[in-house]
Amino acid sequence: MRDVAIVSFAQAPLEQAPGQTETLMLLPTITEALANVGMTRRDVEFTCSGSADYLTGGTFTFVQMLEAAGAWPPISESHVEMDGAWALYEAWVRLQHGDVDVALVFASGRASLGASLRETLTFQLDPYYLAPIGADYVSLAALQAQAVLERTGKTENDLAQIVAERRRDASGSPNSAVPGDASADDLLKNDYVVAPLRTHDIGPPVDGAAAIVLVAGDRAREVCAQPAWIAGIDHRADPHYPGVRDLTVSRSTKQAGEKAGVGKGGVEVAELSAVCTPEELVLAEALGLGDDVAINPSGGALVANPVMVTGLVRIGEAAKHVFGGGSRALGHASSGPCLQQNLVCVVEGRS
Amino acid sequence: MSNDNVQFMSHHTKVEYKIPEPSLLSLHFGDELAKARIIGHRCPQCSKVYMPPRGYCPLCVVETTEADEVEVSTNGTVTTFSIITPLQYPGQEETEDYVQGTILLDGADTTIMVMQMDGIPIADMRMGMRVRAVWPPEAKRTDSVTASVNRGMGLGDAVERWEPTGEPDLTREQIAEHVL
Amino acid sequence: MAATWTLEFPYRRSVGPVIGAFLTGLRERRVVGVRTASGRVLVPPFEYDPETGEAASEMVDVASEGVIERAAWVPEPLRTHPLDKPFAWALVKLDGADTPLLHALDCGSADRATPGARVCIRWAAETTGHLHDIECFELT
Repeated sequence: MRDVAIVSFAQAPLEQAPGQTETLMLLPTITEALANVGMTRRDVEFTCSGSADYLTGGTFTFVQMLEAAGAWPPISESHVEMDGAWALYEAWVRLQHGDVDVALVFASGRASLGASLRETLTFQLDPYYLAPIGADYVSLAALQAQAVLERTGKTENDLAQIVAERRRDASGSPNSAVPGDASADDLLKNDYVVAPLRTHDIGPPVDGAAAIVLVAGDRAREVCAQPAWIAGIDHRADPHYPGVRDLTVSRSTKQAGEKAGVGKGGVEVAELSAVCTPEELVLAEALGLGDDVAINPSGGALVANPVMVTGLVRIGEAAKHVFGGGSRALGHASSGPCLQQNLVCVVEGRS
Repeated sequence: MSNDNVQFMSHHTKVEYKIPEPSLLSLHFGDELAKARIIGHRCPQCSKVYMPPRGYCPLCVVETTEADEVEVSTNGTVTTFSIITPLQYPGQEETEDYVQGTILLDGADTTIMVMQMDGIPIADMRMGMRVRAVWPPEAKRTDSVTASVNRGMGLGDAVERWEPTGEPDLTREQIAEHVL
Repeated sequence: MAATWTLEFPYRRSVGPVIGAFLTGLRERRVVGVRTASGRVLVPPFEYDPETGEAASEMVDVASEGVIERAAWVPEPLRTHPLDKPFAWALVKLDGADTPLLHALDCGSADRATPGARVCIRWAAETTGHLHDIECFELT
């Protein structure tokens, strides 16, 4: 396998000008990601993006986003109707071919434009058995949560403690959509959305954009002092219907983690795409994370859920750990109901 | 298998979206339209004039700002047009043939698509025809929000109609780069 | 509240023999599952065993009543939910099935939606061959 590294990560701040377009959220983000490593768009040899037209209801919306990447002269690019983490996976695969060395990955989404994200995301579900009853992602996550609390013996208080900690860790971050000072007791006064999940247990959907630059081989060291080498990356999917699997365990995450080599040296930091609190418990168990692992030091998806960007951001945050001198970290992305599909990316620093 | 078995399932899906809040630039563009002024942004690198202004140049991929604002003429050229025979699908309001025109305004490098060509007989429509905007009376000018939600592809209903100026047509060569 | 617009698609989907058998059953107010090669009865039925990928086609009748495996209370339903009053989502393993079916449970209060409780299907007044033929579950 060819060595590929994440050399740069940039994320659009949550606060934007009123009515800011998705393209203009992305444009400076991409410029920044490239400028971090002294590159311009002309240095990019392959581009891959992730987004979902259903967030805004506009067909081929993602094509407009290409203007932020700069598509003239024509560029080699691809797109996935998924979280940008999967666009990163495709870019990583592309770089394995050996003929190109630099890839740009980006993701964007304006979840705020849906009247109800819960209704919008129901479109992705089984059209015969789930969509007709409007089984939305929060309702399904709540069923998983009930099962997790029962099996583990954890309580809603334990969940609130996790949320309070994530919010504290993200306090002051331009990418957190929630205040950082609530205690678990404060949070437990919030209403249920679908029991046992309260408003604070669900990462607030926000608009967002992020970009990552991948460079293969020695070129990575030329542009970045501490490249975050991708030691392993893999993604797996569980069956879709919630009744046919044990919702308290994530076999696909476990497999993806094994294939990505999480166990081969452990990780210091794990950025997990847990959009509802109990998902963190399921994921941490599936990945075999001990108490020595810092989970979601960025705050994770519980402090802000830029839909379609969340997973890419987790990988970017894992890379930041290595940029800052850390040894190994993992970024996780998820798609589908109750952690149906999971991607794990392990990054490491090398001397 | 009996023919009586269920073979199809209907699923009428409905998703609601909020109409996006107009951007500040969009609102400004609309405000100028209400004054019968058409503005664009000139790219500081390649000098192309984008109208409606989008806040960036897609070729140079740089942002454009108020510093790059220019006024564009309300006269222009029909670079191409379509005669549309309206299909009577649910929601269709048109019943008679009508023309959708593509217009390159003097001073702009981008074209706009307009629907308000009904002042010109269909048989007279020509590529290269010189036209000018006719604005509604001041009291009836469109408010900025209406114009700005038109996805930046045109002027919404800010212009009441387009009429020929009587100038000689432009040649095919002169408009060849702007038929889209 | 911002002005909104609506995206609508009038889908009409073919259902095939397995899902079709389930929906035909619903129209006749009975529940049909599918038996996999390993002997598990899946309700609702799928054309392939999710564990092995093998095709499944042996249809099996199951009861219209069963046991709650998991429930989650919805204090404020969305307009797309099956009921327009507070209800519980319930994964219910119908007698004879090995996997639970998801639907709404009309039980009045959260504390009555408990795993282990027995429920039965409340059929719609008119059935057409659609998941909505099950109006909801109710406690027995």
